[in-house]
Amino acid sequence: MIKDMSQKRIAFFADVHSNLEALETCLAHARQEGATKFVFLGDLVGYNANPKEVVEHVMQLVDQGVAIALRGNHDTACFEDYSTKMNPEANLAIDWTISQLHKDHIEFLKNLPLVHQEDDQCYVHASAFQPESWHYVNDGLSAWRSAESSGKIYTFSGHVHEQSLYYQSSVGKLICFNPRPGDSVPTGRHRRWVAIAGSLGQPRDGSPKANYLLFDSEEESMFFHRISYDHLQAADKVLAAGLPESLSRRLLQGK
Amino acid sequence: MFSIFQNASPYAYDIEAVDDIFQTGKTVDQFLIGDEVHRGGMATLKQAFINNDSSQSILLKIPRVGKDQPVDNLICFETELTILKSIKSPYVPRFIKGGNLAKNPYIAMERIEGISLEKVLQEQKPFSIEKSIVISLNLLRAIQDLHSQEVIHLDLKPDNVLINENNDIYIIDFGLAHHARYPDLLAEEMRKGIGSAPYISPEQIVGVREDSRSDIFSFGVILYEMLTGELPFENPQTLNGLKRRFWAQATPPRALRQEIPPWLQEIILRCLEPYAKDRYQSATHIRQLIKEPSTIKLTERAERIRPLSLWANLKRWFRIAGYEPSPILRSEVIHEQAPIMVVAIDVSSDNQQMFERMQRAASNIIRVFPEGRISCIGVILSTPTFEGEKEIDSASGQFRGYLVRLMDWAKPLNMSLERISFHVFESLDPATKIVEFASDNDAAIILVGASRYIPNRVVPWRSIMTKVVEEAPCSVHVVRL
Repeated sequence: MIKDMSQKRIAFFADVHSNLEALETCLAHARQEGATKFVFLGDLVGYNANPKEVVEHVMQLVDQGVAIALRGNHDTACFEDYSTKMNPEANLAIDWTISQLHKDHIEFLKNLPLVHQEDDQCYVHASAFQPESWHYVNDGLSAWRSAESSGKIYTFSGHVHEQSLYYQSSVGKLICFNPRPGDSVPTGRHRRWVAIAGSLGQPRDGSPKANYLLFDSEEESMFFHRISYDHLQAADKVLAAGLPESLSRRLLQGK
Repeated sequence: MFSIFQNASPYAYDIEAVDDIFQTGKTVDQFLIGDEVHRGGMATLKQAFINNDSSQSILLKIPRVGKDQPVDNLICFETELTILKSIKSPYVPRFIKGGNLAKNPYIAMERIEGISLEKVLQEQKPFSIEKSIVISLNLLRAIQDLHSQEVIHLDLKPDNVLINENNDIYIIDFGLAHHARYPDLLAEEMRKGIGSAPYISPEQIVGVREDSRSDIFSFGVILYEMLTGELPFENPQTLNGLKRRFWAQATPPRALRQEIPPWLQEIILRCLEPYAKDRYQSATHIRQLIKEPSTIKLTERAERIRPLSLWANLKRWFRIAGYEPSPILRSEVIHEQAPIMVVAIDVSSDNQQMFERMQRAASNIIRVFPEGRISCIGVILSTPTFEGEKEIDSASGQFRGYLVRLMDWAKPLNMSLERISFHVFESLDPATKIVEFASDNDAAIILVGASRYIPNRVVPWRSIMTKVVEEAPCSVHVVRL
């Protein structure tokens, strides 16, 4: 059945941050919507309570050949010293994460690419411009830098936790658009687009709903989804793991 | 031009000569191309058929593209393709199919039997007051329908309004429109204030594209033109000429045509206010006022009988010299922040307790929305006659009696006449009338009293309340004793 839809629908999951409940719910939703390929736009770990389960889940999908995973700054922090580059809470969570992961998991994270290019698309955690520097794409200019460096029609990224879509105007400039959840936004190939999938595992726009992005490459349209999941359980687990209480509150409040 | 990408414009691809693709007699997708209907500056319109079925009338809109054509044609075409596809409205041609933008750009849509209001104006202007009002009401209904779907047309003008012999209205050409749910391809265009000089609102001239009240301004210009045969701000060809509408007062319509009632002048001039916040905030509101002119609050606008003196106009010029548009109000915000509450009152009953309970409920709800408005309606169950439903003769004593009851009911609410209106109908089916009224006016909520429970009585039909609750287009608040 699913094979029928071929490889036309791709789901993008960014900033999963060890949130297993959100990941499972969004994966199920994406499959139901016809997604047959999954792209993890970095930051699989950090902040929340299920780093091991999340990494294993992603490893499995990659092994099956249905997923591509990219490396984010939190993933890198698991094997490089990032303590001066991140806030104290994030650092605490990373220390705890490292204690939970096996060598294989760390090895998997280490071997993830920073950028992946395929057809007319580019996938990257932060910006395609100096990807190792984790620049935020949060305005027209930074989006343009990313698009210019990727050289592709579509650039998909995360790092910024809120969903947005930058589109090339008739004068070339990139303009920010805030899509509404679930709408089908036409994204024709004659323009260039920089899409921010939004955080799956730690939403920060005031709503606890998980973010993810579905791209239909044949119909040339994108759907920015917001999905309710069992965020109470995810928040409870953060507390139970002994992680900072503020990280648990973030999941409850979505900020 | 400063170019950031190697191909700065998204439209820098090569497209085959469009004229060749869409030659009469050829088939594109499933459409057999027929004769040319119209050739405009931006696009060509051609008739088309599916499977030689000549009963279904289809129109293909094909953008004019090529090296010698401005790129605007394609941006507007893409905008129209996206927005027309999303609109579901009886006042807009039905979208059938769109072609691929890079290969065979076209929009296939339903062909409307009608002629442009522009043509009718050229032949018959000025219109009678009655005709202007009928067209206005229908046009406002169509605008309201677009706004409720988060579409702002931004290029309303008689050319883009089709009308048939029943005065039914269709709005066409969405090449400059704005849809809140799609990326605005025309945002941050180099050339600001794209639109049609006589009809464009002041805020559009400075580049605002997200304010639904811009359409209210254009509606005001159209109404002015229908009634007087003139354009309130003429047809300026320069930016400075365009900017005159930031400060200049239009010649009062009554100075051009005395028989125009003051209330109608009030409506027109308020639509033409330079600041969007000073206009009527929604098409629904204007429509309601035109239907019930007695509820219009007349201001100095209604009194004007001659154009402002040069000196008075100059003073206005100084005042508005640094024109800053009003904060943007999106149509969906108007619906939420300035909702219409329909209060259905059983005027034939004497249940004082219920009246009071409904007063309290209404006043509590309206307190939350300082911009909200109330429409009180009383529907009287008529005895079956052969005519079926009928409006009660407004001169009849019974009608006035009911109207007075509605007004009495509303008195404790202390609402200004601007924010409340009263309507009495007689109908065989009051619930349907209430629901119709609510959807016709885009109401956000209906307030009804709970049905009375009558012991030991079997009612073979559903109560009015039950039917309203089931069929309402919006929320329903049921007040129970």
